[in-house]
Formats: sequence, structure tokens, C-alpha cells
Amino acid sequence: MHRSLAIAISVLALTMTAAPALQAAETVWSGLVIAENITEPQPVPSELTRIEGLLKKFFGYNQFKVIGQSQKILKTGQEDWLATSKFFGLHVDARGETEGGYVLNLKLYKEKELLLETDAKLSKRSPLVIKGPQVGGGQLLLILIVL
Amino acid sequence: MKTFEEKWTAWLDDQLSGQELSEFETSLPDKAAAQAEKAEVKKLGELLKRELSVHPLRNEEFFSHQLREQILQDGGEQPPERARRTSPSTWWTIPRLLWTGTASLAVFLICTVFVMHQERPPEESQYLTQILNARVDPVVSPNGTVSIFEVKQDRVTVLWTEGLQSLPADYAAK
Repeated sequence: MHRSLAIAISVLALTMTAAPALQAAETVWSGLVIAENITEPQPVPSELTRIEGLLKKFFGYNQFKVIGQSQKILKTGQEDWLATSKFFGLHVDARGETEGGYVLNLKLYKEKELLLETDAKLSKRSPLVIKGPQVGGGQLLLILIVL
Repeated sequence: MKTFEEKWTAWLDDQLSGQELSEFETSLPDKAAAQAEKAEVKKLGELLKRELSVHPLRNEEFFSHQLREQILQDGGEQPPERARRTSPSTWWTIPRLLWTGTASLAVFLICTVFVMHQERPPEESQYLTQILNARVDPVVSPNGTVSIFEVKQDRVTVLWTEGLQSLPADYAAK
């Protein structure tokens, strides 16, 4: 009886302590997106479905086309990665995990030219959208989402 | 008709008289031995009377009280005060359980209030992505500015830039 109770308590304690570690492995999707107004727009990529309404309302475009993307599984919160298109590169440097998110340093390059740099605390529940430069008749957007 | 034993006892106690006494003494086989035995019995009686007489009892109230209590205990009853004093203490009686439960609940509520006071629930902004800082290259985009919007309804944070260098449509290539 006492042994069963001790085992049950141990399992519960292990579960409780292991749970945060399991939660720490999160996948971050980062994408370079061209927003345009097209007569026959293509459907939004699946990664953007949850913020499609906001993107259309906020930026006023009807098509959002991914020109570069990257998915990174964050295990330590210290990883870095690059999402690139032909001319643009988004370098993401994770600088640690905080309560509910990750601290990221983001750098947008046009070829080798740094256009924009920002530090952000990316929440696991809240996507980040960055309005980039005007590209032709459209707009470059940088989007980061914890999947 | 009295038996011999009854007459013997009565003779020892000098209860026989008259014709009955003379007839009994005549029937005795050895009157001298009987008289000697009678004398011994009388001596013994006197000795017993002397030694076993009731002595006056000192502290009779105390002994009376002790006796009453003993009688009550033997009968399964106890005086109320003594019963309270000597009743076996069982901790988990219903009233004590109630008191313990109430006290535990009170302690729990106090701790909960204290903890909630110490650790306020995270504000909604903590669930939103936060821009810590942002800058555009002043050489490349001298008129560049940044603004931050938190769309709480959709839980989206937007870093809005203005004045960045516009690029031709070719740059939209994959």
C-alpha cells in the first residue's frame, strides 16, 4: 500500500517536472511573404490561416504569397536560422526562452544590406508580423509564428 | 421435637431451663467433659466479642465517597466531572474533525489570498509578442520609422515600418 502510494507520487512528480521540458520544444515558422492585390488571389498558405483575417484587414491586400520560409524546432531557445528568398534574407537568432515565449533578434537583409533589425519577445500564442519595404505593387511582410 | 444438636446449642447458650435442662444434662454421657467444652465455648465467644468488636471509623465521609464512586464505576456510570476528566481522548471525533476542517480551509484561503496577492495573474500583454526595440539602417533608409501595434483581438503584434527604400517587383521572386 505504502509502496504503491510512493510510486504514484513519484510518477506524478516526474510528470509534473517533465511537462515543462516537453513544452519547451516548440516549432517556430518564419516566412517572407509578399502581399499583393490580385484579381484572382491564391489561397493563403496553411501557416497563415489563423491570421488571414488580420492580414487582409490590417494591410489591405488579398493575396499573401510565401517567397521564403523556414521552420525551426527550438529545443534550447538558443538556436539561430535563416529564411531566405532570392533577394531577401531573414536571420533569426534566438537568445533564450522566457515565460511563454522566446527572445529573438531579427535582421532583415536585402542581399547583403541590413535593412531592419529588431529584438522581440515572441509569444507562443501571439504571431509577429513585420511590415517590410514596398516591393513593386506589393509589400514584403516578415511573419513569425510559434506553431 | 428438638434434635440433640439443637438442644446442645441451646445448652451452650444457657437457653435451656427447668425440666428440659435436667433431662438434657441427664442424657449427656460425660457431663464433666460437656461442662468443660461449654466453658471453652464461652471463652471463645468472649474472645471473639472482644476482638471483633466494631471500631469507630475515622474519616467516614471520605470512605463513603470512595465507596459511592466505586459503586458508580462498577455500575458503568461516572460522575460528570470525573467522566470528563478521565474519558479516553479520541482525537478524530466529529466536532474535532469539523474544527480541523474549518481551520485547514481558513489556512488554505489565507495562503491562496497571500499567493494571489504576491503573484498577480500575468497581464494580457504578456501573452502578446512584444517588440523590445527596432531600428532601420539610417544610411539605407534615412527616413525610416517604426511603429508598434498590438492587435489584442487577434493576439498579433505588428511592427510597422515606414520610409523604407522601395524595391522593384523583381525582388518579389522566390
